[in-house]
Formats: sequence, C-alpha cells, structure tokens
Amino acid sequence: MARTQKKVDAVIVGLGWVGSVMAMELTAAGLDVVALERGPDRKTVPTFAYPKIADELRYAVRYELMQRPADSTVTIRHNTGQTALPYRRLGSFLPGTGVGGAGAHWNGLLWRPNAEELRLKSYIDERFGADIIPDDMTIQDFGVDYDELEPYFDRFEKIVGVSGKAGNLNGAIMDGGNPFEAPRASEYPMPPLEQTYDAVLFAEAARNLGYHPFPKPAANASQVYTNPYGMQLGPCNYCGFCERFGCLNYSKSSPQTCVLDALYQRQNFEYRTNATVLKVELAPDGKTATGVTYADAKGEEVFQPADLVILAAFQLNNVHLMLLSGIGPPYDPATGAGAVGRNYAYQMTGATSLFFKNIDFNPFVGAGANGVAFADLALSQMDFAKNGFIGGGYQSSQQTNGQPIHHLPLPDGTPAWGAGWKKAVGEHYGHSMDIVLQSTNMPYRDAYLDLDPTYRDPFGRPLLRMTFDWRPNELKQAQFFKEKAAEFGREMGADASSSFYPDGHYDTRVYQSTHTVGGAIMGTDRQTSAINRYLQSWDVHNVFAPGANAFPQNFEYNPTGMIGALTLWAARAIREDYLANPRPLM
Amino acid sequence: MRLQILITALALTAGSAFAADETETGEYIAQLGDCAACHTAPGGAPFAGGLAIASPFGDIYTTNITPDPQYGIGDYTLEEFDRAVRRGVRKDGANLYPAMPYTSYAKVSDADMAALYAYFMKAVAPVHKPAPASDLRFPFNIRFGMEGWDIVNRPEVGFTPPYDDAQLNRGAYIVEGLGHCGACHSPRNLMQAQEGYTAASDRFLTGGTLGVWPVPDLRGPESAPQKWSDAELVEYLTTGRNAYTAATGEMALVVERSMQHATEADMDAIVAYLKHIGLPAAGSDKAAATGAGRSDDTTAMLTAAKPDMPEGARLYLDNCGACHTVSGQGAPRVFPNLVGNSLVLSDNPGGFIEVILKGAMMPSTRRAPAALAMPGFGDRLSDDDVAALASFIRSAWTNDADKIEAETVKKIRGQL
Amino acid sequence: MTDFAIDRRDLLLNGVASVAILALGGLAPAMAQAGPDTLENYKPVYFDAAEWAFVMAATDRLIPADGEGPGALATLVPRFIDRQLAGDFGKASRWYMQGPHDPDASPLFGFQLAQTPAEIYRIAIPEVDAHCRTTYGETFAALSDADKDAVLHDLETGEVDLKTVPAADFFAMLLANTKEGYFADPRYGGNHGMQAWTYIGFPGARASFREWVGQQNTPYPLGPVSIGGERA
Repeated sequence: MARTQKKVDAVIVGLGWVGSVMAMELTAAGLDVVALERGPDRKTVPTFAYPKIADELRYAVRYELMQRPADSTVTIRHNTGQTALPYRRLGSFLPGTGVGGAGAHWNGLLWRPNAEELRLKSYIDERFGADIIPDDMTIQDFGVDYDELEPYFDRFEKIVGVSGKAGNLNGAIMDGGNPFEAPRASEYPMPPLEQTYDAVLFAEAARNLGYHPFPKPAANASQVYTNPYGMQLGPCNYCGFCERFGCLNYSKSSPQTCVLDALYQRQNFEYRTNATVLKVELAPDGKTATGVTYADAKGEEVFQPADLVILAAFQLNNVHLMLLSGIGPPYDPATGAGAVGRNYAYQMTGATSLFFKNIDFNPFVGAGANGVAFADLALSQMDFAKNGFIGGGYQSSQQTNGQPIHHLPLPDGTPAWGAGWKKAVGEHYGHSMDIVLQSTNMPYRDAYLDLDPTYRDPFGRPLLRMTFDWRPNELKQAQFFKEKAAEFGREMGADASSSFYPDGHYDTRVYQSTHTVGGAIMGTDRQTSAINRYLQSWDVHNVFAPGANAFPQNFEYNPTGMIGALTLWAARAIREDYLANPRPLM
Repeated sequence: MRLQILITALALTAGSAFAADETETGEYIAQLGDCAACHTAPGGAPFAGGLAIASPFGDIYTTNITPDPQYGIGDYTLEEFDRAVRRGVRKDGANLYPAMPYTSYAKVSDADMAALYAYFMKAVAPVHKPAPASDLRFPFNIRFGMEGWDIVNRPEVGFTPPYDDAQLNRGAYIVEGLGHCGACHSPRNLMQAQEGYTAASDRFLTGGTLGVWPVPDLRGPESAPQKWSDAELVEYLTTGRNAYTAATGEMALVVERSMQHATEADMDAIVAYLKHIGLPAAGSDKAAATGAGRSDDTTAMLTAAKPDMPEGARLYLDNCGACHTVSGQGAPRVFPNLVGNSLVLSDNPGGFIEVILKGAMMPSTRRAPAALAMPGFGDRLSDDDVAALASFIRSAWTNDADKIEAETVKKIRGQL
Repeated sequence: MTDFAIDRRDLLLNGVASVAILALGGLAPAMAQAGPDTLENYKPVYFDAAEWAFVMAATDRLIPADGEGPGALATLVPRFIDRQLAGDFGKASRWYMQGPHDPDASPLFGFQLAQTPAEIYRIAIPEVDAHCRTTYGETFAALSDADKDAVLHDLETGEVDLKTVPAADFFAMLLANTKEGYFADPRYGGNHGMQAWTYIGFPGARASFREWVGQQNTPYPLGPVSIGGERA
C-alpha cells in the first residue's frame, strides 16, 4: 500500500500562481506546507534560458511546457446526446503543468473583472429584468463583490507587478486609462509598456470611432520592479517569445519571477515535483480530508497527511480531483441536483487580421501583453435587450510574436499551399496587424463537467468529461464583435483582411483560449455551488479550491487577476478565521 | 524539526551545559566566519565537509566539523577546538592546511571562540560520515611540511584594536579576522601565503586571484568600496547586487552564507572600516579603464543594427543585448552594468570569460531572494566568438580595456 | 536539382545541430550523415525509398521552388519530416492514444486516429501511390506537376478515399509538417541556411528588440540568427 509521509499542516496541489501565493501566505502564518507538483521543476535558468527557449517548434507547436494529453486530458462532446471523445492532442486550450504552471507560459494580461460581472444575476435582474435570461442559462452571482475584493486585487497586482494606467482611481476618471473600469485604490505598480506601431494605429482608429483606448494591463515589466516579496523583474525586451514560452528575461511575471525564490527561503516550505495527486483522502465521516494520495516520479503511491488541503491545480484538474475524491455531490444536468461539475464555461474569442502593403509592423517585436484595448463594449456598457445577447467583450491590438509556423496571418482567399501560398507569405509577412476579441461566455444547464464512463488516464482514473458547445447567445455576440472589427478595417484603410470568429459548433482543434472556467463554482447557496464564498468546500471544510473553477460564468477579462485575488481572499479567511477554529465558514 | 536536532545534539554531548544565547551567538560567529563556505559541500549536510578546494598543491577536501565523535569534532575540548581554529593545529597535533584561514581566525576573541564551540557542539547535527581525504603533492602531502610554512607565515593569536574608534575596531575585527576577507582579496606570496593581515600592510586587501578569477582590490581610489556610497556597499554585501553590478562566483556565496546575516551595526562597521583603509593609489588591479570612447556612439550603432557592424557588436546584439541592452547599462539590480564594470575591464579577464562561457547567478538572500541568473553561452559561442565579443564589450561605450585573444578563451574554457 | 552548396561554417554548425537532434530525439547514431548537406547525401532514418520519393515530390509541390523564395527541397524540409517521424512527434508520445477510437468522429473533435504520425505516413503513402497508379498509371513521384497538384487537392478535400486513414487528415498532417520544416529552427533539419526566415524577414532566435519598439514602420535591417548561433 501507499507509503506515508510525515504529516504537515497544509498540502497544496499544484505549484503555479495559486499554489505559490497560497504557500507564501500559509508559511507566513507559521504553517508547515508541502506543495505537490505533477510536472517537472522549472527555473528561468536553465529551463527558460536563451537561446534554447527561442524555439517555436518545440514550445509553441509541440507544446513542450504544456500538459501532455498522454498523461492527463479530458473527453469532449457538444451535448449530452453524443459520446465524448478524448482531447487527444492539444488544440483549443493549453493547460499548463510543471512548477509555475500556466503562470510560466501565459502572455501576462492581468485584468480585473467588471464589478457587475461578479454579481451578474443580480445586475441583470435589476437592470433588465430576470425574464431576459434564457431558461437554460444558469447565471449566478459569485457571492463576493468587487468592493470586498478590491484590496486583494490591489495586493495581487503588486505581487505580480503590472504595467498599466489606471482609468478610475478611487472614483476619479483618469486620462489615458480605462474609464469604464471599477474603482481602483492605487495606480498600477509600473507605467504602461511602450506600444508597437500596430497599437499606435489601432488607438488612433479607436478614438476616431468614438471609443476610449487605453494600454492593456501587462504583467510584462516596463521597467525594473521589486515586489512585496522582494522579488525582482527586469524590463521587457519585446523578444516575441512570450505565450507558450517561459520568459528568458525575468520580465514576464510568473511564480518563478515573482514568488518562488522568496518561498524557497522559508524553512517551513517544501515542494516535490513529478508528484501527481491522485485523490484527496477523506475521514470516514466524509466531513474532512485527511490528506492526499499521490504518485511519485517512480509511479509509487504516497500518502501525504495534512490538516488542510488546497486545490491549486489547473481549473479542469481541480474539478477532476473533487469528482474523483467525492468532495461534494456531482452535478446532474437532468435534475439540476448536485454542484460539482456545474456551470462549465469557456471564453468567446475571435481575431481579425488587417493587411497593409506599405507598413512594416516588425511583428517579431512583441510582448505578451502588448497592445491597446477599449472597453466601450464591455459587459457593463451593453444593452442586452437591444443587442439580443447577454455579454460583452474587449477588443484590442495585440502584437505578441512573429513566429511564422503558428502565427502568419494571410488574407482570406489565400491558397493554403503551392506557389500562391509561398508568394503570399513573402508579400504579407510583417505587413499585417491583429485585432483580437475576448468576450464573455455564459453558463448553461447542460454545459458541465463529469467523469467519463469509458476513457481512463494512465493511473486508471476516469478522464474528466466536458460537455460544451457554443449557444446562439454567444454566436450572436461573436458576429457583433466581428462587425466592430470590420469597422476598424474600413476606418484604417486596410488593403485586405482575414478573420476567425466561431460561427457554429465548438471546434476543439483551433487554439482559442486557455480560459476554461467553472465546474466547482463559488456561491452562497450550497445547492448551486460547490464551494462557498471563501473558496471552501461546502462538504469537506478543510478543502479549499481557489482558481478559475470558482467562476459561475466567464467574464470578458483574462482570469489571472481574479484568480490571484480569490487566492489572497481565501488565504485571509484561512489565516484569520479558519485556523483558530476549523469549521465550515458558512 | 529544529527542536529535534537540538535534543539529539544535547544527548550526544551529555554533561555540557551551554546557555541558549551562547549557541545563538555562536551561530552568528559561524556565519560571519563563513565556516559553511568550505565545510558544507553543495547539497551536503551542514558542516559535514567534503568540498574540494583546488590549491596550487592539489585538491584539499574540507573536513567534517559536526559534533560526531568519530568523524567530526565531537570529542574536541574547547581548548582543542580553539587550537584548531586559531592556530591551525589538529587535536592529534598535526597541522591543518592553510586553506583553513586560521591565520585570520587568529584574531577571534576568546568569548567568540567559546560561543562558536558551543554552537558546533550543541546546535549542529552530528554527521556520522568521514569526509574524503585530501590529495596533495609532495611535500605538502606531509603535514609535517606545513610546520615550516607556519613558522614563516603564521601571525600571532589575538587582536589588538588598531584604532581609537570602536566602530572601526569592530570593522577591523570582522574584516581582518572572522570574515577572513584577506584570504581572497589580498595577494599571495610565492608560498601562497596571504600578503598582510592588517591594514597596516599596503598589500592587504589590494586584490588577488582565485582560480581564473580576478579578486578585486578593495583599497585603491577606483575600487568599489572607495567609489560606492556606504548604502551601495551595504546593499552589495547584503543582497549581492546594487545599481551597478552583481556578486558572482565565490562572492555570491559569501553574501548568501555570511554577509547577509551581519547585523546592521556590524555591517556599518565593516563599511566604515573598508572606507577608512582606502589607499591613494594601489591595488594589483588597475583602475577600471574607461573614458576613451563616447558612450552614445556604441549605443547608436547597436540601435541602428546595420548589417555591416563589427563582428563583436553583432555577437553582442545576438547574445547579450536582451538583458544588458544596447547602452550596456542593463537594469539596476537585475542586469549588471557592463560599462566601467571591474570584472569586465580587469587585466585578468578570466572571470569575465568564465561568466560568458558558464553564466553566473546572484545569491538568494532574505532581502533580495531572487537568484537572478545569466545562462552560459559556451555552447553557442566559439573561442573566436567569445574573444570578439569580449573585446567588443571591453572597448564599447566608454570602456577601454585590452583586446582578448581566442587563445586566452581556449585556455579558460579548458579549465572549466 | 538545385546545388545546395554551403560553406564550411554552415556544415560545422549543422554537424553540431545533428548531434543535438540525436540527443533530443534519441535517434540511432547511424543517422549521422557524411558529405555535404544535401538531400541527395541524406540517408533517411525513418522513410524507406518509396516513402522518401513521395515526400520529396509532395513537399516540392506544397512549397515549390519556382518564383521568389526557397522551396521545400532547398530548405531540406523532407529531412525535417524524416527526423520528426523518427522522434517523439512520430511516436505521438505526448498524445492520448488509448482506444476506443471513433473512425466517424466529426473533425471538430480533432485527432481521433489510432495510428501515430509515423504510422500514418507509412500507411497513407502506399495508399496514395496505389490511387495514383490506378488513376494515372504512375506513382505520385512520377506524375507531372499538374497531376501531382490534382492528387494533393483531392487528398486535401477528401475526394480520394484512402483505405485506412482519412485522406484529409493525412494531407493536413503532411502540410503542417511541411510548413513546420520550412520555418522551424535549422536545428531540426529543415529551414536550411535559414532561407525561409530570410525570405519573409523573420529574425529567428534573436529575441531582443527593446530598441525597436520605437523604431516604427522601419524595416528591420538584420538577417536571422538560429538557436545554434548561425547567421544568414
């Protein structure tokens, strides 16, 4: 049977943003903490060191740093009538693995959600009336509101180190920032990144079209920065190898650059890599967890006893572990009973490329979070009744890389191969810019996660099954924004364009976003949420699951800011309330 | 965990009675003396020895100084321990190799020796494992031979405060004694003995060599301690980085294991002392050679990136510019400034070349935990490439130091 | 065919790259090649002669030599594909390969075949050649350029019915691998001399452009550099 490790106060599953920040908080409270990371150890040097990191094939095409489906994947179907099929090779979304998790290979967009998005059900009821919500759309409030979370957003931005410009500083609207954002207590830790030429042109066009452009909040350092943990960032060099790569330059915020060396100084912290957590073990009464069982590098099972279990894995893996471990009742879409697996949602994205024969954009001069956005069409600004869909989004310029295998936009109608293709790549490379959309995705009664009846992982565990497809609401939303992007093309006098916006069933092959959310959502009612507003399991009170799994629906902004704030919010509840008297906090 | 170790240690040294604060003081003395630098091997148990120290006479392996009675120093009395640390004489009467800086430790006070002894006996976990034997060439493999060395080279035990200022005296006590800074920062004579053990000697702390590395002069008018502000010096010594540069190689370890633990008062004393002992013109290492070119000429050339730029400049753009930038100035505390950098411009380019080939890493300290690292470029750059690149950097911006030959690079690569 | 003359430095660096590939892909040392860096001198490590002839002919049509810019053969794309199939990619070592497999799955659910990429090439190439013999009386490699293009088009649209694997899936993989070989770092055996990067103006592994953010709408003046440090 399983070998047993020495008991610790807290075990953390996964050493990415959530795991590393939670470990800082819990070790600061004096707890002995062990983090178990299923992937390998990763350090800037040697793992992300120049020049070998500047390898598109290895990292951006073969996904060297990502989860290997051979080890862990999901099955996917569009509806409950289909048989789900394995997500055999990565495509539409790219879960991370290894120390740093997806926080090592993201682009670094660090947003806060709109205040309205955290209480979306209440907002719609008040503003438009509950009748506007389609019957099968299961929108909910998060159970924690923006004002409560503001100090934690603020703290997380200081830990991460964000380059940006405030648009609403304590209620005062600031020039150059996002005038539609919720009030911020302080300015961004660093000034905005310098913008590439596509962003300059986009901002000008946006102003001409009546929008209010502002630099995207970037977890790419615009200058040297030292965070509250004493960790340091150096200025970004626009290397053009950001998303899907680890940062070669200590410039992109990641657990590596912002947390880990400080964490490794703590005597009461330990981490083990190549340690795949198989199950959270429960006490006989099922009300508390006793620790976790994991497979070590040799595949041997090890039991790690702990008084507190933090699920800090990728969203899908957190939900998977809860289902496998019996933490809370699984969701049944037929009856609506059970909460674990409920409200899976994705992110509606799209992109339009505009071509200009006479402009040299130098697309390889790129930073992950480079670009200018406007939020005039954010959810909080939209009239759902008039638009005919519930949702909103932000559109932005985005010059992150000029890697030709996976990012070489060509005008619509260009042949995919042959002499025509070769001629086109020579003509158009470097002469196009992208306008990208990121928008909301609402939850539905039968968009959910459960355990697959057929397919198993190498440990013999059932794979997680995802039931998801685009709905008329989201498809209408995508077309709405596609037309807005086309207006930019006309305004800017582009020679040609091409675009990708979902217009039918969910296509798992095409990369769209890694912002998979929900499945173990937070709330104030245990019938409709798996975890309470402190990210604590309703059913097993010493299990906390901060992460994107907590989102009842997906807001338009990138999730990391919210995930970080929820982690710090949960950590405060654990430190200041739970530890003195371990119990259900609600 | 730590409590358990303490109890075990107590059981093994039954009969002794140490005050708890004495072991704490002792731990601090061990940190200032940087005992771990040599007696803890990378990845090894604390103070269990086994680190190989290359000397011109052969490899010296450091010894197990945990309180294990068989393989460590568990059966040493305070007097025997004192004789080893301050006089370099082992319990059995044999002489220690002078890689052990007993010539500096000779200045340590009786009280500090007692505290250090208490720490090693009571708070260090015994390791029941022998350290490897050293492998020296004749005649140094005969410990008897060391006696002759000692007669000539060993200073007297004891510390006579040289100044009528308590802070300067404290600084001298640490720098000349416990900290044994002179072991690396002073030149060595033909017998490999340190030249000068106090500031009274004009050779003391004027720079030396360690392997292929130049060890900087600390006293000349262009030396870092004399040029930097007190605050910049404190920052460098406690975090391994400041606005100009970063500690690399051995110094990074000194910062991480020793200097970062110095109390504020002791750090101020160290800095006051170093500032006080500046010399008008001295040092084995010449002043940083700068001032020849105009800084913005190089910057403009690298910014324009014309294909006809010199080979060294092109190699700089392809390999170094990402962090050190086209201005060569990097970014304060993150990417060291290459302009006027003493390692870059040293007459002995060994350290500079080694960093290009192998990379370097800043220490992780309490105040600055980020162990920022530069990768090595030895796989990507040939000897000719490194020579062209290093020569370019040494003459770019306002730098003005000699060209590096490929032969030199080849030699250093061979020693890595 | 084009004379792939190269200078000595290039050869040396490619030798280094080959060693790196060996370490990465765990290939047999027998793959080490002698003589100048050309397709004629290259001894495939995965493909047999018929497969090699097909891949040479097919990639030459997918990225032909005529017009501006190098073609797939000048950039040694077939060598790239051969090495990829002999390595982790060919073995699908990262992919979930457990059954059951659904042969009628909608393409929206992505790769659902039971065969690895190496197996797919091995199975599909003779089937394409069989189709060519039936329809044109010759194997693919022996067809005229126009007929080759017609066959490739029929594969792309699934109009050819290969017995074991869907034609469109095979074509999509072949096309993707061809473009990968054209644009990947030369360490993987394709993009010979970084010609494809030079052609489009991608500086390769340079990865440092801080001073170029402000130099807007200005062509970047330097040619590419590879991970190994080669310049073009």
